[in-house]
Amino acid sequence: MSILQQLKNAVRQRSIHVCYVNTGSCNGCDIEILACLAPRYDIEQYGIYVHNNPREADVILVTGGMSPQWIDKLPDLWDRVPEPKAVVTIGNCPISGCVFNRPGKLIDPPVSKYIPVTAAVPGCPPRPSEIISAILGAADILFKDYEVHQKEKEGGGQS
Amino acid sequence: MKKVVDVSLPVGPIHPCFKEPCRIKCETRGERVVTTEVELGYVKKGIEKIMIGRPWQETIFLAERVCGICSVVHNTVIVEALEKISGITVPRRAGLLRLILNELDRIQSHLLANYSYCYTIEHETLGMYLLNLRETAMDSLEMMTGTRVMAAYVVPGGVREDLSADNAAKILEATYHIEAELKRFVRMFETGPMIGLRSKGIGVLSMEDALASGVVGPTARAAGLSRDARKEDPLYLEMGWHMITRTESDNYARIMLRFDELYQSLTLIRNGIAALEPGKIRNGGEMKAGRIKHTIEAPRGDLTYDIEIDSAGQVVFVSIQTPSIPNIEVATHAMMKNLASAADVTSTFISADPCIACAER
Repeated sequence: MSILQQLKNAVRQRSIHVCYVNTGSCNGCDIEILACLAPRYDIEQYGIYVHNNPREADVILVTGGMSPQWIDKLPDLWDRVPEPKAVVTIGNCPISGCVFNRPGKLIDPPVSKYIPVTAAVPGCPPRPSEIISAILGAADILFKDYEVHQKEKEGGGQS
Repeated sequence: MKKVVDVSLPVGPIHPCFKEPCRIKCETRGERVVTTEVELGYVKKGIEKIMIGRPWQETIFLAERVCGICSVVHNTVIVEALEKISGITVPRRAGLLRLILNELDRIQSHLLANYSYCYTIEHETLGMYLLNLRETAMDSLEMMTGTRVMAAYVVPGGVREDLSADNAAKILEATYHIEAELKRFVRMFETGPMIGLRSKGIGVLSMEDALASGVVGPTARAAGLSRDARKEDPLYLEMGWHMITRTESDNYARIMLRFDELYQSLTLIRNGIAALEPGKIRNGGEMKAGRIKHTIEAPRGDLTYDIEIDSAGQVVFVSIQTPSIPNIEVATHAMMKNLASAADVTSTFISADPCIACAER
């Protein structure tokens, strides 16, 4: 492994920028993400920064079960996120629609129909500690040796 | 046609200052913001439509998920409406437990609102202090109900779980801790010169606009209007509730009013725990058909449920009027009119404590 790759791994491990997108949740999951910022859970000690800006994000947290307004906007937003990137869904809504998936609904779950989802945290809402462990777990797998894996993928495609 | 504005400045839907997606369109002339318009619809789920035709037991869980921040109050208001239709009475102990839980919910909601404001004016230190204090209130909520958010604690006829003497003592301890810490943070907010510069005299809501718009909750009380649904609740009056109002009606007044209400909520919780007597926590009863309009005071203002159920127990009609609807309207059309700087748009909007999930449902 090159020194550059080792440097990239070390930097990415301690610097994960997060943007959360509410696609029709009830706020319950959003305030649990906010609670992660509180000094008790202190998400920044793991190097996770909540910026809420898709253009500098590494991980997108999606809460909510896709309301009609987001169906065209969420793939757009996903395109603007720079590589390497990942989506972690928070709560039951992005997986199944939770209690809102009933006759007469407006939402259209799951979120994985529209953008590729790496990890999902079920719960209505999940606890802040579960959210932090999900982000850290997904980031470790995705961002370590990202360029090496990309090259392997491209090489595999050519041969 | 002569162009009267320089730049149309969109804010949102994903913005670092907003907890929820909404777009504010600002028409600016130089640095001055002339008019603003809010664009909603990003979290519309159609909860009322889902509720119609369902049994009343399901509507309780659906109502709780209208808003995650004030889930307790949505649970309380729909259960109280169903109780009023059927004439079910609540034991005194259960009524007091509901009051204690609602005030704990108000504490965490107001602390979150003030955290958001401090974060918006870039005073993150005070914001983080307040967010840490909120965790103490969340611990008390968890101790009482078993979970942090979406507790479904209030059930028809009473409450789901009793509060043991041990846990009551722990909640009392938490109220003293919150009060001691809050005094320090309120002094920081009151005397901070930069906070004063960013807050005083900004986003002023005139009395005419306040009266015309039907604004509710802390935003109305900061403008000097005596609007609070708790004034008609005999239990609240017995526990020593009184109306708190301010007259300045700017961003500073709205945040300070929430701080004042926090002290009052702490007193109400203490009085409620002192008045607890051993007894039943749940009465029985039979659900009947009927229609009712019931209002109670949510952390953000008057919350009204208009609900009709038929003899089979199905919901025929439901209409939810949440406090955020008039507050968002008045924030965009009256408070943010002629703002001196585009930097004040987000802070003025957040100072009205808008809850987009409530407003759109």
